[in-house]
Amino acid sequence: MNVNYVQLVYFFGMLFCVMGILLCIRTARTRFGKLGDAPSVSFWITRLPAESAAKLIAFAALIVLPAGAIFTANYHTFEGVHEVSGCASCHAMLPMVNDLHDPNSGTLAARHYKNKWIAENQCYHCHSDYGFSGNVEAKLTGYRHLARYTTHTYTEPIAARVRFNNQNCLNCHHHTPKFEAVQSHHTAADRLASNQMICLNCHGQAHPTSLERTPGSAAYSRLTEAFR
Amino acid sequence: MHEENIDPKDCSDASDITRREVLITLGVLCGAVGAGAAGWGFLEEIVALRQPVQSWHKSVCRFCGTGCGVLVGMKDGRVVDVRGDELAHNKGVICIKGSMLPELTHIPGRLTSPKIRKNGALVNASWDDAMGLVASKFSDAIRDYGPDSVAFYGSGQLFTEESYTANKLFKAGIRTNNVDGNPRLCMASAASGYVQTYGKDEPPGCYADADYADCFFLFGANPYECHPPIFERIRQRKRLHPETVIICVDPRRTMTAQHSDIHLPVVPGTDLLLLNSMANVICEEGLENQQFIQRYVRFNDGEKDCDFARFREFLKGYAPEKVEEELGVSARDIRRVAFLFARSEATMSLWTMGVNQRIQGTFLNNMLNSLHLITGQFGRPGATPFSLTGQPNACGGVRDTGALAHTLPNGRLVTNPEHREEMEKLWKVPAGTISPRVGFDAVSLFRAIEQGSVKAVLIMCTNPGTTLPSVARYQAAMEKCFTVVADAVEDSETQRHAQVVLPAALWIEKEGVTGQGERRYQLTEKLLDPPGLARSDLQILVDLADRLGHGSLITARSPDAVWDEWRNVSAGSFYNFQGITYARLKTQRGLQWPCPSTEHPGTARRFVEGEDPFVAKGAGIEFYGNHDKKAIVYLRPYVASPEKTSAEYPMYLTTGRILEQFHTGTLTDRIQELHDAAGPAKIQINPQDAFVLGIQDKDPVEVKSQYGTVRGEARLTDVSCRGVVFVSFYDSRLLINRVVADNYDPASKEPEFKVTAVSVRKVST
Repeated sequence: MNVNYVQLVYFFGMLFCVMGILLCIRTARTRFGKLGDAPSVSFWITRLPAESAAKLIAFAALIVLPAGAIFTANYHTFEGVHEVSGCASCHAMLPMVNDLHDPNSGTLAARHYKNKWIAENQCYHCHSDYGFSGNVEAKLTGYRHLARYTTHTYTEPIAARVRFNNQNCLNCHHHTPKFEAVQSHHTAADRLASNQMICLNCHGQAHPTSLERTPGSAAYSRLTEAFR
Repeated sequence: MHEENIDPKDCSDASDITRREVLITLGVLCGAVGAGAAGWGFLEEIVALRQPVQSWHKSVCRFCGTGCGVLVGMKDGRVVDVRGDELAHNKGVICIKGSMLPELTHIPGRLTSPKIRKNGALVNASWDDAMGLVASKFSDAIRDYGPDSVAFYGSGQLFTEESYTANKLFKAGIRTNNVDGNPRLCMASAASGYVQTYGKDEPPGCYADADYADCFFLFGANPYECHPPIFERIRQRKRLHPETVIICVDPRRTMTAQHSDIHLPVVPGTDLLLLNSMANVICEEGLENQQFIQRYVRFNDGEKDCDFARFREFLKGYAPEKVEEELGVSARDIRRVAFLFARSEATMSLWTMGVNQRIQGTFLNNMLNSLHLITGQFGRPGATPFSLTGQPNACGGVRDTGALAHTLPNGRLVTNPEHREEMEKLWKVPAGTISPRVGFDAVSLFRAIEQGSVKAVLIMCTNPGTTLPSVARYQAAMEKCFTVVADAVEDSETQRHAQVVLPAALWIEKEGVTGQGERRYQLTEKLLDPPGLARSDLQILVDLADRLGHGSLITARSPDAVWDEWRNVSAGSFYNFQGITYARLKTQRGLQWPCPSTEHPGTARRFVEGEDPFVAKGAGIEFYGNHDKKAIVYLRPYVASPEKTSAEYPMYLTTGRILEQFHTGTLTDRIQELHDAAGPAKIQINPQDAFVLGIQDKDPVEVKSQYGTVRGEARLTDVSCRGVVFVSFYDSRLLINRVVADNYDPASKEPEFKVTAVSVRKVST
């Protein structure tokens, strides 16, 4: 994802919002019943009756610009959250992101990042199930997280309530020689595929422990330093 | 857009907002907020409904001695998930066996009713009938032949409260020291090694030392398969610090060896040569730590104290060039490994059955500890000797409670009058109650049964009909005795010879404490009811005590009451764990003893100032188990095993575990995935040996020793080095212990499962 491109989308989104608000105010102040006798309005290369112009403004204020703002905002959000910096913008996610960048950390996330096993969009790569339903679910979950975050109805350490989908691991690891060489992967193949057994059982911590992410713990201040 | 033509009067009264407009605006706002809140609430409900687990419960894995902390997920009264507990010592890592724990709660073949043998068959009976029969047979034997005519054969898989109660019942109630069990078969040599060296049993270090070690010396251990979370921790250390060296000493090219930097494939039975030779190199090349030796170490030639010069002189006979041929490792490799061991920043040795199950098991343990002592690789993070253990509660339940034939609780000995007196006071029994005679150790017990001097035996939570060496001999012996077996599952080899079988609760069907390999006590809480009429082993022991007239001795009758009694007994010893209460164990992920008060955090590294509460300030390291507070380095000569290869038996048989199976497979082999993964046990042969013998993969072959013969399917693999045959002991259909030599360590009484001279030949069927 090109960062300038995202910023451009961000700029247009903000522009739509500001214009929408201004036109909404303008529309709210308009008395449509008194526009019948008003002179026509010059509009671009033509002239429109005042009432038609006001309706056009109202349509833009209430429909077009909000739709454009919603579209650009969602587009920006959908694309922006692909990036680690998108996750880092949320305070509750700082421990995960700081750990990800810690070269001395042995968590699965840090090892994947340090060794560049995933080239970009590292958080999204493991935490968004692919396909339509997966994306919808991810967005709905994101909406829930947003609601919790903005209303401060969460406590640290945060805990994932939905079960992590092994498929996110298997997408890359399945059928690789290293994976196939481990007998236990065959022993538990069905359970891994059906998510009855999580990969982390044998492969350890994905992120800092809940204890490390608890305010007041020795590691908490380090893990919640502002993301740079 | 141009707005200059709009009449400003058109909106001159726009500020006159009507009530209707305000209400509409508020309504729209409320609607928007309501819709958002409703969507959020809907999502919260969906998430809650989709939870596969209703509640998570902290627990402990049922299987090996790693003692992994797990989280048990329950829904509608059933176990639906098990995860590694990220807050436990294992940092969330468990293995394939632990991951299959949900299946353990509904394995087929559970015993659900007591059974009594009638006309050759075991038939269902009531608890009253079964226990009445057991009590009458035990009472008759005690009355007619004395208390030493009965015995208890326990397990490193019982809870501590159960082993403690059995020990107390038999030693202070029945008045016999015939209390032993399967830990004798797996860690007795480690225990005797620690006691001889430090004056106290149990490892001084902890699993967390693996996070700091720069050199791992894996000696006679295969943690990749037998203690996977520990090997994962070692690999994690290597990942983060690639300069870390992993050395594996094993006659087989195990998965552990394949993941090590250096593999030394010693000839079975000769590895004391390697340890003595490494010590020789260390002393001759000035790699020893004289400061540590001067301050903390004493030397002993086995009879009397001596000095470092004598030790160095003794080792001259083990120069690398002198031992390399018999040992099977080059002098160059010996010198290299000795240097790495001595000069790494922190060296951690880990060993298990390859060392313990040996006729020189105690000597090997002595020398492994000694290498750490002469190099000062001790007491610092990462620098420690560490014996891994095989069962979940061999350490806490059996070694610590003294539930062995020669011991009393907290390191006391039955032969020591002061120790007996102390325990008689603690157990509130008359002076002279505890017998001064050492009871029968595991092998001696079954020999006594064979000879007819033991008339009745209670076997709990173990399967000696599979695990004893030369097992055919002892299976026959069991037929001569009134054998009672308490077990969770039916149809074990031992039950075939039992007169009474009692159904026992399993894992989370009962409550109790286990003590794993690093002195950590952890609580397993009851989450399920046992099936049918099954009871906890503690309930069975309490019932037996009542029926034998010792009910007044066994006053603690629930797990928490027994634990309180036991932790108070420990208070007067160097084990002191009075501060490890059930209340703490219910909230914390286990605690390591010593832990003398409820405020004490537990002791990760024993004998170390600042960590161990018994070490005086300023002492640095203090081996308080010995009178001069110094550890002892013994001069331990190598003696070749009687199981030397010959023209008749030209190969070495060694036995062990595999990843998917625990112990004799009575539990793990009933879990379909593990059963399928392991398959029937195979006779593993090196391809070069197989070529010479005309054996191809999957051929039926016969393994023969002077003790017995088995037949099975050959598996050609270079995991077995030349001249080495390996068979795992989990499969009773290929009962390899029929072939294993009937020798044991004279000090620890632990059998030598790892070295048997055998022949292998292809057979027609």
